[in-house]
Formats: sequence, C-alpha cells, structure tokens
Amino acid sequence: MDGEVIGMVSTSGISPLGEAREELLLEASIEAEASGREKAQEESGPARSLLVFFLGTEGFAVDLAHVRKVLRPSRIARVSGAAPEVLGLMNCQGEVLCVLDLRRTLSPGKETSPPAATEGKFIVVIQHEGKEAGFLVDAVRDVAELPASSVHPVLDSVDPPRARLFEGTVTCGGRFVGLLSPSACLNP
Amino acid sequence: MTTGSIELLVVDDGAALRGYDCRDVVRVEEVAGEPGGYLVRLGRLGLPREVACRKVLRSVVLSTGEIRPVPEALRERISGEKPWAVGLNEREIYLLY
Repeated sequence: MDGEVIGMVSTSGISPLGEAREELLLEASIEAEASGREKAQEESGPARSLLVFFLGTEGFAVDLAHVRKVLRPSRIARVSGAAPEVLGLMNCQGEVLCVLDLRRTLSPGKETSPPAATEGKFIVVIQHEGKEAGFLVDAVRDVAELPASSVHPVLDSVDPPRARLFEGTVTCGGRFVGLLSPSACLNP
Repeated sequence: MTTGSIELLVVDDGAALRGYDCRDVVRVEEVAGEPGGYLVRLGRLGLPREVACRKVLRSVVLSTGEIRPVPEALRERISGEKPWAVGLNEREIYLLY
C-alpha cells in the first residue's frame, strides 16, 4: 500500500526501516560477493597452493598437497649402482629418505657433470601414492595461490622426456615456472 | 649376535658402504697384486657368491629397529644387485646385501 508508514526517523537520524534495509543490503552484498567468488572459482577452477623453488635461475613449482616437508640436506650416503639422479640416502629424523638430484631428473641422459654439491641447498620431500623422495633444489621461494585455470600446457618445443615431468606451466611473480608432476618425477 | 639384532660386516666398495650378514660370510681374502682390494666370500646362509671391495672396515651390530626397507624410489633406480634393506644408526647408513 502506498504511503504506508513502516518506520519512524529515530533521534539518531536512522529509522528502524533504514536499519533493516541497511542490514538487508549488507547481507545481499555479502551474498553477491560470495556468489561472485564462487562463480569466478567455477570459471577458473579451485585455487591451488604451489611451492615455488629454483634451480639456478629457472623456477619450478609443485602442488603443496604433495610436499611433505622441506629440509636442509645433512649427510647423504651414496649408493652403488644407482641411477645418475640418485644422490643417495639421508637419515631424515630416523627415516630413510632417497634423495634425488632434480637437475639430473629434469635432464635425463645429460649426466656428464659431477653430482651436485648440497651445501646451502634445500631438499623438497615429495610424496605421491605412497611413494616418496627428496629432491635437491637450489632455493625455495614461497607458496603461491593460483587458480587451477592458470595452469597452461607445456610448450611443444620442450623435449618429450622432459615434458612428461611437468603438469604444465604457470606464471608466478611475473615469470613462467614449470609445474612439476609429482607422479612423473617419482616414477622413473 | 643377540636376539632382535644383526651383526654386519661393513665394507667399502669404493663408492658406498655395504653391509653383509656376518653369519653369511665364509671368508675374506686380500686380492694379490691389488692393494686395497678384498674379496668377501659369502654363502653360509644361501647361494655362494663373491663380492669385491676396496676396504673391509668393521663389524657393526644393528638392532631390528635400525633396519628399514629400501625406499621404493631407490629400489626402482638401482641396476644390478639390489640391497634387501637399509641399516641406519646415528652415525651411518648401510645398504644391506
């Protein structure tokens, strides 16, 4: 009904109607924001947390869901007859950890250089379907939150043996980084 | 050797430390004409075999709690003879063959 009085102006200048409307608008805006976020997430896929690390100046990432821990290397016992990417075994708080040289894992067949020195580096322990190994990397940068849609396919120009080790590429901090496939990196 | 432990003969194969069950060792021989070369003859517990190594270091007793399975990531990356376990104490890691 037109002209129906549904509230009075209070002494503070805000009527009960105004307050109710304010609340409704606030709720509506929160819902709209949430729905917008959901819609954006539906469009871009759920966010992924990625651990970003480096080998020299080249950046790499791995889904944080597969990272068990990041360690400083301690004494690594060598293993006879192991593949070139195997640096050896490390006592990791009473557990035996197989440590792999990520640089060599990424460049199969190019094992002419001596095994990597471990001083000042990090070991990223990756786990996938019950299998686990530590990968030696030069530096660990941070964790990036990215929508799943930001993962792009690996470039065709990448050698197939190397390309199989990646899920894709992502842009982090303005640079392209290779998103490693935990499964492919763990399975020779 | 006591119950729940294993005594290992630890040898250096030139690249890594290997441990052999002392009960399996038949004899250790120095290889003539090869300084630092030894031959460990095994077979008391199983098939006879010989292992060449650079040095025979010592024997060490590991408890069963210090013996771990070989990590799968390593087992898949070893060609030739594969260790059956890994021995781990505060000081060292041994591959058990």
